[in-house]
Amino acid sequence: MVRVRRPDLVVIGAGPAGLGAALAACDAGLKDVMLIERDVELGGILPQCIHDGFGSIVFGETLTGPQYAQRYIDRLEKSDVEVKLNTMVLDLRPDRSLTAVNSRDGVMEIRPKAVILAMGCRERTRHQILIPGYRPAGVVCAGAAQRDINIEGLMPGRRVVILGSGDIGLIMARRFTLEGAEVEGVYEIMDHPGGLTRNLVQCLHDYDIPLHLSHTVTFIHGRKRVEAVTVSRVDENLKPVPGTERLVPCDTLVLSVGLIPENELSKRAGISLDPATGGPVVDERMETSVEGIFACGNVMNVFDLVDYVTHTAETAGRSAAEYVLQGIRKRGECLRVRPGRNVKFVVPQLLRGYGEEAHFYFRVSRPERAVRARLSSGDLLLAERKIRMVRPPEMVRLKADPERLKEALARGELDVQVVPEEETKGRQG
Amino acid sequence: MRGGKPDEMDREPIREKLEPRLPARAQAVVVGAGVIGCAVAREITRYTPDVVVLDKENDVACGASKANNAEVHSGIGEEAGTLKQRLNVRGNHMYEGFVQGLGVEFKRQGLLIVVTPRSVPPEVAESMNPQQLDELLRVKIPEGIVAYGEAAGIRGLRILSREEVLKKEPNVTPEAVSGVFDPNYGLVCPYKLTIALAEHAVMNGARFLLNTEVTGFRVEGGEVRGVITSRGEIATPLVINAAGVFADEVAEMAGAGGFRIHPRKGATLLFDRQVTSEYVRSSVALFRMPGMKRERSKGGGAMPTVEGNLQLGPTAVEVDDKYDTSISAEEIEEIFERFHYLLPDFPKDAVISAFSGVRAPTYEEDFVIEASNRVKGFVNVAGIQSPGLASAPAIVEMVMGFLHELGIPREPRPDFRPVRPAIPRFAELDDQERDALIRKDPRWGNIICRCEYVTEAEVLAAIHSLIPATDMDGVKRRTRTGMGRCQGGFCGHRVAAILARELGRPVTEITKSGEGSPVYLAETKDFLRAERSGHGQG
Repeated sequence: MVRVRRPDLVVIGAGPAGLGAALAACDAGLKDVMLIERDVELGGILPQCIHDGFGSIVFGETLTGPQYAQRYIDRLEKSDVEVKLNTMVLDLRPDRSLTAVNSRDGVMEIRPKAVILAMGCRERTRHQILIPGYRPAGVVCAGAAQRDINIEGLMPGRRVVILGSGDIGLIMARRFTLEGAEVEGVYEIMDHPGGLTRNLVQCLHDYDIPLHLSHTVTFIHGRKRVEAVTVSRVDENLKPVPGTERLVPCDTLVLSVGLIPENELSKRAGISLDPATGGPVVDERMETSVEGIFACGNVMNVFDLVDYVTHTAETAGRSAAEYVLQGIRKRGECLRVRPGRNVKFVVPQLLRGYGEEAHFYFRVSRPERAVRARLSSGDLLLAERKIRMVRPPEMVRLKADPERLKEALARGELDVQVVPEEETKGRQG
Repeated sequence: MRGGKPDEMDREPIREKLEPRLPARAQAVVVGAGVIGCAVAREITRYTPDVVVLDKENDVACGASKANNAEVHSGIGEEAGTLKQRLNVRGNHMYEGFVQGLGVEFKRQGLLIVVTPRSVPPEVAESMNPQQLDELLRVKIPEGIVAYGEAAGIRGLRILSREEVLKKEPNVTPEAVSGVFDPNYGLVCPYKLTIALAEHAVMNGARFLLNTEVTGFRVEGGEVRGVITSRGEIATPLVINAAGVFADEVAEMAGAGGFRIHPRKGATLLFDRQVTSEYVRSSVALFRMPGMKRERSKGGGAMPTVEGNLQLGPTAVEVDDKYDTSISAEEIEEIFERFHYLLPDFPKDAVISAFSGVRAPTYEEDFVIEASNRVKGFVNVAGIQSPGLASAPAIVEMVMGFLHELGIPREPRPDFRPVRPAIPRFAELDDQERDALIRKDPRWGNIICRCEYVTEAEVLAAIHSLIPATDMDGVKRRTRTGMGRCQGGFCGHRVAAILARELGRPVTEITKSGEGSPVYLAETKDFLRAERSGHGQG
């Protein structure tokens, strides 16, 4: 017989988002919290991220991925959260009920009062970017390669070409090198790097690994195992330029070509998704379009820093607890935050105004020097930050206080924009 | 996880299954373990268990049988009067009986042939006044298609108005003027069918020798006496050549040739099931007037897979290399362009996979199914390209005619086992059934592939089956691990670890698709150790 369970809250995914959300919900007074994870251990991607750089905002020190995760796992062990590892959520429905399965409990029908989506993201694959060629062994996504090396103790390659200069790609360039593999180069289709500056310096520059901007892989050679790739320069429309092909012998192609928020369950539950982020549309309490279902972390959009993931998780955990314990329901008044000049997207997308402070995270569309990031409602400035350099990989966070948010709600507009420093000076002058 | 402990109980039979002894003699030897070879072998076992199937690859269905569009055509697209059309029409009718007892899903989704202004050459369209053109597209062409099909024995064809076309397939171009619906078109997973046929044959006594390449034949006095392989010789009076793209070379070895295969590659794009389920419900193809200058490729269409993924293709590109299963940038572009017209809003960004197979046409473009008149006991089943999958039941019937003449008993065996028990698929069960299985064996609750919901129990069943899966692709074809949107990112290392454990090999010996395709090249620190010892010697 299928068992029926009725916890207060189910958190789906026990990466940094799920861990943070489950603990925050407990801290806010929820007793019966179930944390479901499909992998064999807690922490999500963190256990394989053995490099450092995690936690500078949350803990004021830089930790490795496993250390960052362990701080939450230690707290979790002291809490009453019920952890279900090796457990897969098969279905999530608009009434918040879920079906999950594992070897021990069999099939479970779970009917919680609230749900937090913390499924994280997955890697974009070779076929999603349609790289022509053969389908041999040796084409791997960077995150999967990282897991192979750092968790499984296995080397997926020896002569490596990396496509994409996202952070995982850069980190893996260094990791392969440290393991005695040869990294021929990192190729990036855009004319600017995809990863954080510190990773460009520490992972490529320090190891003399070349970065080829405006280049992509145009053919994978090798019927059984990768034997080489053809790389080509691309024009301003990102189309390969004929005549620029170069054959690069290698046994492995590592792809770091983007991450996709995992929202298959969100779609099943009928949650509205934002095409700009690939994640659910949420308000400042991280509640989605379906009442009682909240979202946090990379399921909303792919964050650059785990610290931000934790922040959204804590908001979602607290909000879910309030939803269950205090019966706080979604407010009707609702304002859509508008991405303005040089802003690709903003999360949360909606402001309802609960009389609390709120954080807004955004990404720019293109790199820009000497700017101010602004959150404003007409002539009312809610938040502003001076930034020396903004780049698409690096997210910007703006905090707004409850009073001004209330005012913005009354005015009916809220904009995020990036303005050049001169312009602001000019206007002031 | 590394390597893992081999399970002593399971290890012995697997070894035996993986490296069976070469039999000294057999009543018949089939060369090639594609869908045709396996179907012929299965049919032979209805009369005698003494049949051997040889293939140089490490699994069945490693050629065109693993890389086609899964369509069971009706014959409407074939040239009148060809052997191909005759066997296609008959094969299609026989399909339910053919798959009976195999535990393989077959469904008839139908084909919608769409007629639009682009169905006729521009010069023809321009030479007509609007009423004439409308009459041609709306009435004459559909009527012509139906008459053509009915003459070939295809039943149930139906002319559809523009409204009916768009109601049936709402995503089709609004330029549609009319259409013809052919209810006979079916879908069957070609590699699952091949695997099932092979296992059914094994259940009934057939022996499969994989990793075994045919290098020659013993022919004496114009009669087949034996097959020479990379692993030794088998005495036999009967050889069935079902070697796909290599059928011409195999026939030459016996002196029973006389036809040439020129490989023609076909590439297909596959889309995420969650996005495209029901995007098209039937196969959909644009009608093009016969004799019209074709685009670079012939045929192809939009169709669902048995599982509900949208597929677009295949292309048709002549290639020199029989192993050329690559897909080119031009082919990808061509598919996008072509289907942008037929299905204007198809979800371009939901591609999850692209694959390419090599067809085996002869220069006559017809099937070559014959008992050689130069070498007695040698039967060619060659030139089998699309619609080979659809024609398979009728091809088998025709081949059996020759084989009975050549000595296969005509009397069916009383001990033939008609049903091949299929492994249930967790993804297709309801929650009560799933729960019951987990209570019996907890491995049914351990999800290995999170996109396709494949459990450890299914992976184990694939590895310990009658035709064991011995590599990643073998497990994938049997269970769908790694076939979803993450393409193995989540389950790759898990499947490799299970294979290593069950086969009793280190995980560094696990391959993607047989020899030369290792998934992992070493354990961590191995390269550093090698480097260090290298320095030491220097």
